[in-house]
Amino acid sequence: MQQELRLQVPRVACTAFVMLLLWTGSVRAQSSAPGPDLTSAGRDVVDEAGRTVRIRQPVQRIVSLAPSLTETIYALGLQDRLVGDTDYCDYPDDAQKKTKVGGAINPNLEQIAALRPDLVLVTKSLNRYDTVRALDSLGIPAFATDPHTVDEIVSSTERLAEILGAPESGKALALDLEHHLSDLKQRLAASPPRRVLFVVWAEPLISIGKDTFIADALRRAGAISIVDSAQGWPQVNLEEVVKLQPEYLVFATGHGETGARDIDIFPSLPGWRLLDAVRNRRFAVISDAVNRPAPRIVSAIEDLARQLHPEAFIEVQEKEKTEKEIPPKSALLSTNLAPRATEREIPSDEASPCAH
Amino acid sequence: MSVQAAARTSSDAARASSDARLSVEQVSYAYSANPAQAPLFTLEATSFQARPGEILAILGPNASGKSTLLKLIAGALQPLSGRVLLNGFVTHSLSPKTRAQRIAMVQQESRMLFPSRAWEFVLQGRHPYGRPMRFETEEDVIIARNALAQVGAEHLSDRWMDQISGGEKQRVILARALAQQPLLLLLDEPTLHLDIGAQVDLLDALRRLAAENRYTVVVVTHELNLAAEYADQVVLLQRGKSLRIGPPASVYQRELLEQVFQTQLSVEPGSSGRPRVNVLSGK
Amino acid sequence: MRPLTLQRLLLRCAALAAVLFVVVVIALKLGAVPVSLYGLGRDLIRVMLGQSSGLSTDYGMIVIDIRLPRILLGIVVGASLSVAGTSFQALLRNPLADPYVLGVSSGAALGAILAIIAEPHLAISPEFAALFTPLGAFLGAAATIAAVYFLGRREGQIDSSTLLLAGIISASFLSAIILFLMTTQIGRDMHGIAFWIMGDLSTPLQQKLRWVLGVGFVAAAGAIYTTASDLNLLLAGEKEAMHLGVDVPRVHLVVYIAASVLTGLAVSVSGAIGYVGLLVPHVMRFIFGSDHRMLLPAAAFGGAIAVVIADTLARTVVAPAELPVGVMTAMAGAPLFIYLLRRRFA
Repeated sequence: MQQELRLQVPRVACTAFVMLLLWTGSVRAQSSAPGPDLTSAGRDVVDEAGRTVRIRQPVQRIVSLAPSLTETIYALGLQDRLVGDTDYCDYPDDAQKKTKVGGAINPNLEQIAALRPDLVLVTKSLNRYDTVRALDSLGIPAFATDPHTVDEIVSSTERLAEILGAPESGKALALDLEHHLSDLKQRLAASPPRRVLFVVWAEPLISIGKDTFIADALRRAGAISIVDSAQGWPQVNLEEVVKLQPEYLVFATGHGETGARDIDIFPSLPGWRLLDAVRNRRFAVISDAVNRPAPRIVSAIEDLARQLHPEAFIEVQEKEKTEKEIPPKSALLSTNLAPRATEREIPSDEASPCAH
Repeated sequence: MSVQAAARTSSDAARASSDARLSVEQVSYAYSANPAQAPLFTLEATSFQARPGEILAILGPNASGKSTLLKLIAGALQPLSGRVLLNGFVTHSLSPKTRAQRIAMVQQESRMLFPSRAWEFVLQGRHPYGRPMRFETEEDVIIARNALAQVGAEHLSDRWMDQISGGEKQRVILARALAQQPLLLLLDEPTLHLDIGAQVDLLDALRRLAAENRYTVVVVTHELNLAAEYADQVVLLQRGKSLRIGPPASVYQRELLEQVFQTQLSVEPGSSGRPRVNVLSGK
Repeated sequence: MRPLTLQRLLLRCAALAAVLFVVVVIALKLGAVPVSLYGLGRDLIRVMLGQSSGLSTDYGMIVIDIRLPRILLGIVVGASLSVAGTSFQALLRNPLADPYVLGVSSGAALGAILAIIAEPHLAISPEFAALFTPLGAFLGAAATIAAVYFLGRREGQIDSSTLLLAGIISASFLSAIILFLMTTQIGRDMHGIAFWIMGDLSTPLQQKLRWVLGVGFVAAAGAIYTTASDLNLLLAGEKEAMHLGVDVPRVHLVVYIAASVLTGLAVSVSGAIGYVGLLVPHVMRFIFGSDHRMLLPAAAFGGAIAVVIADTLARTVVAPAELPVGVMTAMAGAPLFIYLLRRRFA
C-alpha cells in the first residue's frame, strides 16, 4: 500500500541519525585505546587493593585523587611531578596551586585525561571503584593504596616512592618516621594508655572503629579508643560512653563544628555533662593530620602523646636542642596546631564525615 | 457510491433482516467473592429476543441485576448457563475487537484522564476497525463526522470534552458509539445525570436512530415513564429475577409494579396510548 | 477535525531530532577541555570512516572517548525514562506516576548495594567485576518487577489501582532496607551509592552493556509503541477501552513489562535520575497533545534532550568538580512541576 511505502522511508531516515551516533560511539570504543603506548617497557605491580597495574617508567606526570596521597608526594619531595590533584588537597599550601580535577569521589575524567598522566594515585577507602574502572577503560594506570595501621602508612609511603622511581627518598622518609615512632614508644613505655573517645562528629555521636588507622594512631600515642566496633565510623550511643567514662575526649581540628572554638559548648550539651572528661575539661585537640594516612600523621600522634602524657616529655626541651637537623624533605613533620585558615566544607553526602 | 454509503452497506444488510438479532437464551449468572461461599448475587435464567429497530428496556429497582444483565449481553461477562447470541454468534466468544465492531456500549459519563476534543473522542469509536499501528483514514473521519451529525452535535466537534455540558457530553458519547457502526447499542442508565429536557432529547434521538439505522437498542433504566414511552419491549427485573417480559402495556400492571418498586402507584393509559405511571405519595 | 497522520508525526519527530542534534553538538563543545567545532566534525568523520588512529589531537580523543559516550548514554537513559513514565501514567491512569513509582528503582538500588557488598567476598575475574554492579542492579529490578506484578494482580489480571498500591509499598519497603544497609555498612564503598542513588552518568559504560542497553531500549520502546492507540483508549477507562475493542489484560501486561524493563535498564546503568520520567511526558503532552502515537516518540526525544542538557550542566557548573545529574534534574524539575500544576488548575 502506498501508505506503507511512505511509512518505511521516513522511518529509516528518522532512526538513521540516532544509529549514526550510536555507531560512532561503539566504533570508537572498539579501536585501540588511547593514551600511553602500552608496548614500551613497563612492569606489572600489584597495588594495595590487589589489582595488577602496569607502570611505565619514568613516571613524570602524576595525578593524585586523595589529599593524603598529595601530602605523601610532597613529603617525598616529588611534588614537581604532581600535575593535578583534588579540590580537597589543601596541604601543603602549594598543593592548592596545582590543577584541580574535581572531588575525590567525583573527579572529572576529562580533566584527568587532559593532563595526560602517567599514573593516577587513588586510595581504596576514599575513591570509588567506578573511577578506577573508568581510568582503566581509558588506558590510564591507577595505583591504589590502602593502609590500615600506622606501620602500613609508613611502608605504603616507602612502596609508593619505589614505584615512582625515587626509592631513596622513600627509605629516608620511612627511616625518619620510624625513628620518631620508636622514640615515642620508648617515652610511653612506662605510662599506661589513656582511655579516650575520639569524636569524629558530635551530633550524632560518631567515632572510629578499632580496625582503622586512626585507632592505631591513637594506640601509638599512648591512648586507647573506648569504642570497640568493626565498622569504620560507628555511630555511638552516648549512654554507653557515659558508662565507660573515657579519660579524655580527642578532637581533630578542621571539622567545622567540632573544631577547637566549639569545644566550649560541650559542657552545656545535654548528656555530655555526665562525662567526667567534660566536667574537668579533659580535651585533647590535635590537627586533622590524624585523619589522613600520610606521613604527617606521625606529628599528630606525637602531639597527642604530649597532651595525654605530659609527664613523659618533661626533659624534652633540652633534648630537642641537641637533635640533628630534620632534613628539608620532612619539614612537614613539624607540629602544626593552628586551625586551618580556610576550613573546607566537607560534602555531607560522603558516607564518612572525614576526609583523609 | 459515496464512501459513506459504501461503508454502511454490509452492516445494513445485517440490520435489514427482520429476524431476531439479539437472542438471550436461558442466561443466568452468579457472583460470589469466594468460590467456597454461597453466591452474593444471582441472576436467574432469563430469555428474550430483540429485533433490528427495536428498543428494549431493562427495568427494575437498584441492585436488581440490570447492569449485570447488560454486561452479559455485551459479552463482557460469561454466563453461568445459557448464551447470548447476536446474529447467531455467541457474544462472549468473540474477540474484543470483533465484539466492538458489533456491539457499542454507551456509558453514563466519561472520565478521561487527560481531556480531549470531541472529534478525537468520537474517532476512538473507529478503533475496532484498525490494525495495531494505523492512523485514521479519510473514511474514518467521514464516519465520525457523520456520527456527530446524527446526534446533532456537529457544532461541538472542536470543543474540549471537559468544557461541555452533561447533555452535550452524553450526545458526544453516543456519537462515539455510533462511529463503531454497531448492530447493537447498549446504554446503562443514560438519563441519570441529565435534566428532563436532555432526557427527552436523548431518547428521541435513540428512537430515531434505531429506526433509521436499524440498530437494536437495549437501555437499562429505572425511569418508569421513560421506559413506557420509548421502549418496544420491557424486561422487568427484581432481585435477579425477570418477572415479566413484553410490551409496556402488558408489563405495567399496577400490582406487579407496586411489588417490584415497593411503592404505591397508579397506572393509566397516557395520551400516546402507552401506559403512564403516577407515584402516589405516602406508603 | 485533524487527526494525526503519519506525515505530521514524522515531521514533528524530525523537528525534535533536529533539536536533539543541536543540543548534542553544544554538549560536545562544552566541558573541562576546549573543543572547536571544526576539529570535532573532522574527528567524527574520521571515526566513522574507521580511521580512529589518525585523530587530530589529544583533546579530540577525550571528546570522542569520554564525552560522546556519556552523551549517548544520557540520550538512551533519558529516552527510556520518559517513555517509561508516559507508559506508567497511562497504565496506572495517574498523572503523578513516574518510572519509579512501582518500586523498580528501589529494587535496582538494593541489587546494586548487595552487589557492592558482596563483591570483595567473591572471586570475580576483572572483566566480570565491571559488570557486577549493573548486573546486580538489573537483577534487583527484575525481581521487583515480578514481585509487584504478582502482588498487583486481581483475579489473575493486572488491576491498575492494586498495582499502584503494591508498587508504592514495595518501593518504601525496599528503601527501608537500603537505608538500613547504608547505615550499618558505613566505611565500605558506599560513597558511590550516594551518587548512584541521585543519578550519575559519569561512569563510562562497558562495551557489552552498551549493546544490551541499546537493543533493550529499541525492543521495549517498540513493544510499547505497538499499543499506542490502545493506550489512548485506556485513558478513558478500562471498561470503556474494553468495549471499544482493546484487549486490556494483554495491553496491561505488555506495557507493564516493557516499561519496567526500560526503567530497570536505565537505572542499572545510571542510578535513579529523578523528575525526567515524571515531567517530560507532561511537557510533551502540553505541546503535542495526549495521542500516544505522537506522545511516545516525543517523550523519547524530550527525555533525551532533557538529560543531555542536565548532564552538561552537571559537569560544567562547578567545574572541575561534578554534580550528580539527578541534582540538576531535581533543581530544574521541581519549579517546572509547580508551574505545570498551576497551569493545570488556572
